[in-house]
Amino acid sequence: MPLTRFTLEALTEAMMIQVTRRELLKGAAALGAAATAPGALTPARAQTTQKRELVVAQGGDISKFDPHFSTSSNDIRVSFNLFDNLVSRHPDGKLHPGLATEWKLHGQTQWTFKVRPGVKWHNGDPFTAADAKWSLERTWDPKVGTRVSTVFTTIDRIEAPDPATLVVHTKKPDPLLPARLAFYGGQIVPQKYVEKAGNDEFNAKPIGTGPVRFVSWTKDDRLVLEANPDYWGGRIDVDRIVLRSIPETAPRIASLLKGEVDVITQLPPDQEERVMGNASTKVEGALYAGLYVLAVNGKRPPLDNPLVKQALSLAIDRQAIVKELWRGRGIVPNGPIAKGDNHFDAKLGPLVYNPGEARERLRKGGYRGEEIVIETTVGYTANDKPMSEAIQGMWRDVGINAKVEVLEYSVRAQKNRDKSFKGLWWSDPTSTLGDPDGMMWRLLSPGGPQDYWRHPRFDELGEAARFSVDEKFRAEAYREMTKIFLEHFPWVPVIQPYEDYGLQKYVEWTPNPNQQFEVRRFNLKLRRA
Amino acid sequence: MRGVFRFLAPRLLRALIAVWLVSTVVFVVMRLSGDPVPLLLPPDAPRSEIFRVRRELGLDRPLPAQYGVFLANALRGDFGRSIHFREPAFAVVRGYLGATVELGLTAFLLAAIVAVPVGLLSAVKRNSPIDHVAMGMALVGQSAPTFFLGILGILLLALKADLFPTGGRGDWTHLALPALTLGAFAMASIARVTRSAVLEVLRADYIRTARAKGVAEWLVVVKHTLKNAALPIVTITGLQFGTLLGGAVVTETVFAWPGIGRLAIQSIYNRDYPVVQCAVFLSAIVFIMINFAIDLLYGVLDPRARR
Repeated sequence: MPLTRFTLEALTEAMMIQVTRRELLKGAAALGAAATAPGALTPARAQTTQKRELVVAQGGDISKFDPHFSTSSNDIRVSFNLFDNLVSRHPDGKLHPGLATEWKLHGQTQWTFKVRPGVKWHNGDPFTAADAKWSLERTWDPKVGTRVSTVFTTIDRIEAPDPATLVVHTKKPDPLLPARLAFYGGQIVPQKYVEKAGNDEFNAKPIGTGPVRFVSWTKDDRLVLEANPDYWGGRIDVDRIVLRSIPETAPRIASLLKGEVDVITQLPPDQEERVMGNASTKVEGALYAGLYVLAVNGKRPPLDNPLVKQALSLAIDRQAIVKELWRGRGIVPNGPIAKGDNHFDAKLGPLVYNPGEARERLRKGGYRGEEIVIETTVGYTANDKPMSEAIQGMWRDVGINAKVEVLEYSVRAQKNRDKSFKGLWWSDPTSTLGDPDGMMWRLLSPGGPQDYWRHPRFDELGEAARFSVDEKFRAEAYREMTKIFLEHFPWVPVIQPYEDYGLQKYVEWTPNPNQQFEVRRFNLKLRRA
Repeated sequence: MRGVFRFLAPRLLRALIAVWLVSTVVFVVMRLSGDPVPLLLPPDAPRSEIFRVRRELGLDRPLPAQYGVFLANALRGDFGRSIHFREPAFAVVRGYLGATVELGLTAFLLAAIVAVPVGLLSAVKRNSPIDHVAMGMALVGQSAPTFFLGILGILLLALKADLFPTGGRGDWTHLALPALTLGAFAMASIARVTRSAVLEVLRADYIRTARAKGVAEWLVVVKHTLKNAALPIVTITGLQFGTLLGGAVVTETVFAWPGIGRLAIQSIYNRDYPVVQCAVFLSAIVFIMINFAIDLLYGVLDPRARR
C-alpha cells in the first residue's frame, strides 16, 4: 500500500475521533485505540509459534521483588511466580497444594502442614519447614517492618518440629488460614539467603522456589526471568519470560497487534474488538474476584438514612452500565459477596433497578434534596469516571441532588486513610481469601478501612463467622449479614467486571480472578507447529 | 583575567541561588502535596503501622528539621532512599539518566540539524513555495500535541508500515520514533526563530552593503547573516535542549521509554519525595548549566555581551 494512501486513511480515522476527556494521556489512549480499527491491521500471523520466550506487557512497572514489601498488583504478578506459597490458589479459584502437600486442622486451633520434600531454592539450597516458619514470622517482625504485617494476625505461634512438618497455632479458630497462606504475605522466602545477604540485597537479587528465576531488571523498561529447570511443579513451557511496562493503552495494544508482545494486561472492554478483530490475537478474561462498589460514608446525613441508601441502589440501572460502559464484560451483583466466593448465594437475584420505588423511598425517608457527592478518580478503577457520571444522571432522574467531584489518586489514598470521604467513592475490594471474610468483613468491620457504619447484629455475625470452623454456621451468618447489608447499603455494589487480557492465539493461558499472573506449567502452554 | 572573573562570578552565583531555590520549592511542595505512607501500605493497615512507617521514613519530624537533613545530605550528593524502590534515590535516578540523555540528545540533534537549514532556507526564499511548506510544517509541529504525533507515528510507521518497533528501549530503530516525536516541537520552534532572525538581519544595512559591493549571495547568507542572527537561534536552541532533557514525559509514556520524566511523574504520584527531589535537582542543574553555557556563548558570539 502506498504511504500516502494509508497516511490519509489513518489521519482521517484519527481526526474523526472526538477526544472528550480532558486528560492528555487518556486522550491519547482513546485516540490511538479508536484509530486501531480492525480492518487496518497487519495480515494474519501463524497461530503457532517456535518462540521460547514469553513477552508480557503490563500497564505499570514493578517496584520491589521482596514479596513482603508490596501488595500492588503489578508486583504480585511477578512475586507469585518467583516465590511459592504453602497453599496455592489456582485460576479455578480453588486452593491446591503449594510448598505444603497437605494440611489438616487438629481440634480448633492447630493446623499441621506437610512440607513438600526435595524442593530447592533458586541458588540450590534445600527448602525446609524452617524456611516457612521464619518467612511467616518475618511478615510481622517489627525489626523488618514489612508491608504485610497484618495478614497473619490470627496466628499465635509456629513450630517446625522437623524439616517436613510445620505446625501453626492460631489464637482463635481460623477457618481461613490456608486461604490466608495462599495470598500476599504468604510467599515463602529463603531464611539462609535473606539473613546472609540482608533485606536490600534480597530485594535486588531475589531468590525463591518458584517456576521462574530472576535474571535482570531495567526499571520501567524490562524485567527478564528465566525458567527454573528444577521446578517441583515441572519446568514451564518457555525458556524466558520478559515483562515490559507499557503505560499507555493504545501502544500496549499496538505492540500486541504487531506481535512484539505475547500477552497484555488491563485490556479495557471498549478496546476488545480491536484485539478480537485481529486474526492472530484473542481476549481471555476472568470474572474479577471482587466487586466495584460505591462505598458510603454512612455517618454523613442523609447517608445515615437506610431509606435514602436503598433509593440510591434502586435508582441505578446496572444492566445499562454493564451493557454500555462495559460492553457486557461484567455482571450485576446481588449483594456484598462476589460470585465465585464461598457463601455466594446463587439463588439471590441481581440488584434491582426500580426508579419509581426509589422515588417512593426517598419520599418516605424524608429526603429534602441534600447534596450527595460521588468522589471519583479518573482511571483508578476502570470506568470510574464514566460510571460516576452515568449514575449521577440516573440519580438526578429520581430527584437526587447528586454531584461528581474528581480526585487525584493519591488524594484518594489519603482520604481513604483519614476516612474523610464526603459521600460516596469508588472502591474495588478484592476478595483476598475467596471468602466474605476477606472482603466484606475485612473492609467493613469495626476499625476496618471502610468503617463508616455500624450495626450490632452485623458486627456480631461477622466476628463469629471469622472465628468459626463450622461452615454451616458461617453460611447462615453470611446470609443474615447480606440481608442486613441490603437494608443499610454500607456499599452500593455496582458491577462485578471481568479482568481482560489480550493474547497471541498461540498462547494457551487462563487468567486468575485475583490478578495473580500464574505462569506455572499447568497454566501456560505455547502452541507449537 | 579580572574581566573573566567579573563575567563569570555573578552568573555562577545566580546559578547556585537558582539550584537552591528550586530544591527548596520542590521540598516544600512535595511535603504539602500529601503523605506517601497511605500509598505504601495495604488499605487495611492499622494506625500504629502508619505511625511506625512514618517514623521509619523520618516523616514524623518537624518540617524544618526534615529540611535541614535534606539540605545537609543533598550537599554531599545524598538524596536519601527512595520510598517506593527502597534504594538510594540517586541510584534510581542515575538508572534512568542514560535513556533520557540518549533520547533528549538525539531529538535535539535531529531538531537542530533539520531546523537551522530549513529556517535559513525559508528566510532566504521568503514567500516561495519552499517557505510556505516549511513554515506550514513548523506550524503543525508546534501545534500538534506530542501524544497525537506519537500515537500517529506508532500507528502509521510502526504498526502499518512496520518500519519501527512500537516502543521500548533497544537499538536505533527503537529510538527513531520517540526522537522524531520529541524533536518535532523543538524543530518547529528553532526553524521559526531561525527564519525570523535571519529575515531581520537580511534587512540590515550591512547586508545591503555587502551585496552592493558584490559579495557572493551564499557568502552573504552564511558569513554575514547567520553569524549575526546567531544570538536568538542559540538562545532558543539552548532552551529547547533543556526542555528536551526534562520535559519528555508524554513522549516517554507513549513510547514506554524508561526516562527521567516518566520516573519523576510516577514518583510524584507515589509521593516518593527523595526521587522527585533528586530528579528535579539534577534537571535544574542541567538547565542551569545550559543557560550558563549559552551565556558564555553569547560572550563569544557578541563582544557587547562581555561588558
